[in-house]
Amino acid sequence: MAEQASLRVETAVQAVRAEGVTIAYDARPVLRSVSFAVPRGGMVGVIGPNGAGKSTLLKCMLGLIKPDYGHVEILGQPAKESRREVAYVPQTEAVDWDFPVTVQDVVLMGRALAGLLGWPGKHDRERAQHALEQVGMTRYAKRHIRQLSGGQQRRVFLARALCQDAELLLLDEPFAGVDAASEHAIFTLIDDIRDLGKTVIVVNHDLSILDRFDQVLMLNQRVIVHGPPSEVVNDTNLSATYGGRLALLDEADETLRQRISRDDRHITRTDRI
Amino acid sequence: MTGTLLAQIEFNTGGVLLIWEDWLPQTLGSMLIGVTCGVLGCFVVLRRMALIGDALSHSILPGVVGALLLFGLVGANEKWLPLWLLGGAMVAGLLTAVIISIVHRHSRTKEDSAIGIAFTAMFAVGLIAISSLPRSTHFDLKCFVYGEPLAIAKPDLWLMGTICPLVLLTVGLMYQRLKLISFDPVGAQALGVPVQLVHYLLRGMLAATIVAGIKSTGVILVVAMVITPASAAYQLTNRLWVMLVLAGVIGGVSAGLGMSLAFTINAPTGPSMVVVVVILFILAVLFSPSHGWVFERLRKRKLAHHVAQEDVLKAVYRLGEQKLDTPHPVGEETGLSPKRIRRSVTRLVKEGLMRVTDGAVALTEAGQKHAQELVRAHRLWETYLVKEAGIDPAVVHDQAERLEHAHELAEQLDEKLGKPETDPHGSQIPRG
Repeated sequence: MAEQASLRVETAVQAVRAEGVTIAYDARPVLRSVSFAVPRGGMVGVIGPNGAGKSTLLKCMLGLIKPDYGHVEILGQPAKESRREVAYVPQTEAVDWDFPVTVQDVVLMGRALAGLLGWPGKHDRERAQHALEQVGMTRYAKRHIRQLSGGQQRRVFLARALCQDAELLLLDEPFAGVDAASEHAIFTLIDDIRDLGKTVIVVNHDLSILDRFDQVLMLNQRVIVHGPPSEVVNDTNLSATYGGRLALLDEADETLRQRISRDDRHITRTDRI
Repeated sequence: MTGTLLAQIEFNTGGVLLIWEDWLPQTLGSMLIGVTCGVLGCFVVLRRMALIGDALSHSILPGVVGALLLFGLVGANEKWLPLWLLGGAMVAGLLTAVIISIVHRHSRTKEDSAIGIAFTAMFAVGLIAISSLPRSTHFDLKCFVYGEPLAIAKPDLWLMGTICPLVLLTVGLMYQRLKLISFDPVGAQALGVPVQLVHYLLRGMLAATIVAGIKSTGVILVVAMVITPASAAYQLTNRLWVMLVLAGVIGGVSAGLGMSLAFTINAPTGPSMVVVVVILFILAVLFSPSHGWVFERLRKRKLAHHVAQEDVLKAVYRLGEQKLDTPHPVGEETGLSPKRIRRSVTRLVKEGLMRVTDGAVALTEAGQKHAQELVRAHRLWETYLVKEAGIDPAVVHDQAERLEHAHELAEQLDEKLGKPETDPHGSQIPRG
């Protein structure tokens, strides 16, 4: 039975397929030939040190950055054309918590594609209401987002992602700065979302919860290893991920960078997000 | 001299021309500009674009001069001059925006520096261009820089009357989009919302409003009408649409009051408006019910009083009937000054929790009950801190001392802890 299931996954369209994704900022590579595939319904934890290219990879999947080489497919479509199928939960630092919006306002933003100018209709309000119920935040609907705890803030953005009805959810460090109880609550929510048949990719700093994912992708500019946590989470892989970059590659980059700044700048990537 | 729109009028002649027929349309026009600037300003403030507003207003100069120049060359109907000026200003504004993003992206220049470089350069080019205007065209730079509402003529009123309602209508229609993009540009882009397009629309509207309002306030001060009302409104509310309405009202009121003030004391009008709006801003910062300095202080004081009162109550509960001559053990127990204690006692007596007989204070029945509640809350909090938060029992007292004042939560706490009998120190937890 299990064999059959895995066979079906092989033949079905993957939720995410990245092939040879390479991105450089100012000729400084951030991702080097990154290839991986995530089956539909999978739950993947992406780990790696700062500067490993985790956020860049997320932005690729969101279709915000076009790789210099290689490509990303979401549900068999180029990333840029499948934006509707991807929902995104940003890092806390990326959000302006003083912005004058209530919890309900934020959740309704998940329905922004409704109508020409984004005015939510009755159906959208109901959908947002439902999403708030799912994350247990109904009684806070009228609160300003500053008046919430860290865990509650995270749940609001999860509700926004839920109410987008996307197939793929990308979460950027949802556990940073929340206490153990909130972390547990958020993980339960993520489990629920996966049970709805959605694919979830979580960029994550906490190594202690890796066994809760189906797959772990260790990233440090390139894919160090990708597989079930029971097989890939070990000291060798972790130190390969966190133990600095390969010296020879760094040297090669330096040589290339010098050559590029001398000759042509066309490989140089300038349109930052 | 007829081809001029930015007419030459000295400020000190303002008082002489004080006639109702002039004053009313000019004031109404300025108020309309004030409302529109205020509403648009909300997005400028929330998106941290304040510097862009400044840049836009200054960079309009070469556009306006260029339009005048071209207008003179073509020899078009004077009726259309305001539209020419508007077009020139829009082109210049857009050009500045493009220059800023090019300089920022393709060189090692930070965005604020890029803005500073671009708008001063545009302004300088404009100043030079003025000298190349034909002699028949009189361009009053002073009016452009400082504003002169007395020079507001019919065509200007038409311009204001068209642009302002159009801008307000657009903001109303695009409200959801503007909100989303201002709050979460990356998320909006990920959703496929045309972020750049809305961004340019916002800048375009800002440029158009500034052009329409330039005679009211002048390029230097127009930024105040954009940023200050919105910042004042930001102090007062946590809802975006309320902020828009408030900023509009504040902008309109300051323009109206500023005009009246200027006519009364014979002062330049632009600066008068700005002074009014800044006063409103200061009032908002001080007296905003939710974020204001004054109420924040009052709330803190009230809480301090409340805490002191409950501490005194508990001390008397523990020590029994007390004479309040100095030095007395209540002071030692609570660490409060005799004056603070006397004040607390007065309030407690007023609330019926204490009574004073022959200079000695004692708890009334209600006081006993309240004190018991506090002790109960204190011990429950201690239990909670040790059991749930894993804090050392030796150090929980001080934290519980603070938390016990949130005694409304005691029942919930009791439930959560499974109705414990004793606290971590082995003391009985009184049942409420």
